[in-house]
Amino acid sequence: MSNILEAMAQSVIDGDQEVACRLAKEGIGKGIDPVLAIEEGYAKGMETIGTSFEAGDCFLPEVLLAEEAMTAAIEILKPKIEERMTKKASKGKIVIGTIQGDVHDIGKNIVKLFLGVAGYEMIDLGRDVPVRAFVETAKKQRPDIIMVSALMTTTMVYMPELIKQLEELGIRDQFKVIVGGAPVIPEWAKEIGADGYGKNTKEAVEVALKLLQTQKS
Amino acid sequence: MIEFWEVVHRSETGELMEERKYDRLLGQKAKEIVNRYQIKYNPEQVIPSDDALADRIFEAALDLFIEIGMYNADTGRVMKFSKKEVLESLETAVDHIVWGEGRDQKVMFPRRPEDSRPVFCNFTLVGTPYPEELFLKACISTAQEPLANCFSGPSLLHTLGGIEVRSGSPMEVEAAIWDIGQRREAARRAGFPGKGIYTMVSTAEKADAMIAAARPEFGALARDGMLNGAIAELKVDNDRMKKAVFLRRTSYTSGGLYGPLMGGYAGGPEGTCLILIAHHFLGRLAFGTEYSVCFPVDIHQVCNTTRQMLWLVSRSHQALARNTHLLHFANTFIAAGPCTEMACYELTAHGITAAVSGANLSPAASARNKYPERCTGMEGRICAEAAHSATRMGLTRSEANRIVKEILLKYEKDIPNAPIGKKFSECYDLEKVKPSKEYVELHERTKEEVKKTGFVYAF
Repeated sequence: MSNILEAMAQSVIDGDQEVACRLAKEGIGKGIDPVLAIEEGYAKGMETIGTSFEAGDCFLPEVLLAEEAMTAAIEILKPKIEERMTKKASKGKIVIGTIQGDVHDIGKNIVKLFLGVAGYEMIDLGRDVPVRAFVETAKKQRPDIIMVSALMTTTMVYMPELIKQLEELGIRDQFKVIVGGAPVIPEWAKEIGADGYGKNTKEAVEVALKLLQTQKS
Repeated sequence: MIEFWEVVHRSETGELMEERKYDRLLGQKAKEIVNRYQIKYNPEQVIPSDDALADRIFEAALDLFIEIGMYNADTGRVMKFSKKEVLESLETAVDHIVWGEGRDQKVMFPRRPEDSRPVFCNFTLVGTPYPEELFLKACISTAQEPLANCFSGPSLLHTLGGIEVRSGSPMEVEAAIWDIGQRREAARRAGFPGKGIYTMVSTAEKADAMIAAARPEFGALARDGMLNGAIAELKVDNDRMKKAVFLRRTSYTSGGLYGPLMGGYAGGPEGTCLILIAHHFLGRLAFGTEYSVCFPVDIHQVCNTTRQMLWLVSRSHQALARNTHLLHFANTFIAAGPCTEMACYELTAHGITAAVSGANLSPAASARNKYPERCTGMEGRICAEAAHSATRMGLTRSEANRIVKEILLKYEKDIPNAPIGKKFSECYDLEKVKPSKEYVELHERTKEEVKKTGFVYAF
């Protein structure tokens, strides 16, 4: 069985959607637990790609291809997971977006990508997201975390406004807030009362995972 | 020659495409074209001398732009152009800019690889956050530098007169007007009242605020510049195209700001090099640019002084310099902060690379352009001295390659953990706005080290 799981991981590393899907079907035929196929197969491949990306050994297009291959394979495995009633609950829900006035979103997109493939439900509000849209979405969707990025000094000032509005509505303690982006520094994140800060995409993902684990425990 | 309004029309009628799909297509196309033209990064050729490859890179960038077009994020449409339309837009670009006025007037020309003419230098603080009370002095630190042919300033750290400056708010307009006033006042206090400002405002992002600030009574000279940035790889939006309309009707200089991320949507150094060049086609068509500021950065290291990034800087500027008469600045982004030995080496390596590759120079963003007050005029001085010396000694690309590789050995391994250095207030005498003795002596010491490579400083 380990051979097929390794092949699944490799198909993601290669960004080969066709092979990833074929292996998913093969796995079902052989009665392999679909959750195991995802966690010990495809997700391992994604993990390898993530490490290579951080090391500068591969680039975003390869990460995107890997994610597409993994997503396509999961789509095939999904009905089987549901059939066995072992449907894996989402590990957590995250609302993410680039703050009001700011259109620079590549960092936010990378964070979303890695947390998404790690099994978290991502609600991406996009770029130039008004503070009120963050608040309204949080009220409606009840996420575990709100992640906000900014690239400009004139847009990062909306981050404390978001925290303030959550406080005024009496719902601040219902969500963890993580901030990041080029001009954001840890001292400032602390000053505005954010729960977490990521100096880069890798750290943002790590902080989110850590906060979610703490919350669950 | 394609009309600006035809470009706008295409942004409203071109193929409708999901942004995510465009991003993926861009990476795929870049990879395909890099292979088609056999472009390969070589870590031993940080500053390559192969003219044929430089020309192939330019052709490859043209193919890429023609095949993928540019994306309007507001309309969700792709604008496509023919090769003829792109080449015509390049041909009709200005071939010089007269910055500033009176005795401070300076003329910027396009340069060629190994050009012996001096590098035109803009000293900037690249939007490093500064509080209101230090803003003017930070501007003076760049404006006062004799090698700064034109200059720029920092960003404002959050408040003006105690009121928070938020993008899109009325206060953003107020801050933009204040910003240009501070820049012009800095030029006056530095004794260069007519020195050109290459970007009038860094405190605002929105078109309305920038346009509001561009008035003579606030401090703008007739040819001061206004930058228009691509919002991401080959993307524009309507807010930026609005600025282009204003610039078409006024005397101000229209600049393009291009910072593709190496490791991002375009892939590695080869693909990102093509995207950077392609941004110049975008700029001519969508913004009517007269000059460009190129700040490609490594997605993880947020600087352009790694070996790969210097290759990208050299390759892209050589390709542009050999195939167009565009006016392009290489914008220096370093990992280390002010008053560190590492910063001195990074600035020197980038200055030499830009000078022999046919670029003009715009130093510098320090400490990964992140930390408040950690960027000063002194970084510009260090970088520009190296660039001017390279042209004075008639440095060839081949010889520059050897020297830059020796300098790289002094710092490249430290890039991931680069020191953030000292704040402006810690490495400048704030009363006189002069770099500290420590900083000046550190610069002189590193110059002595660089001289051991055979590099000759002109001053």
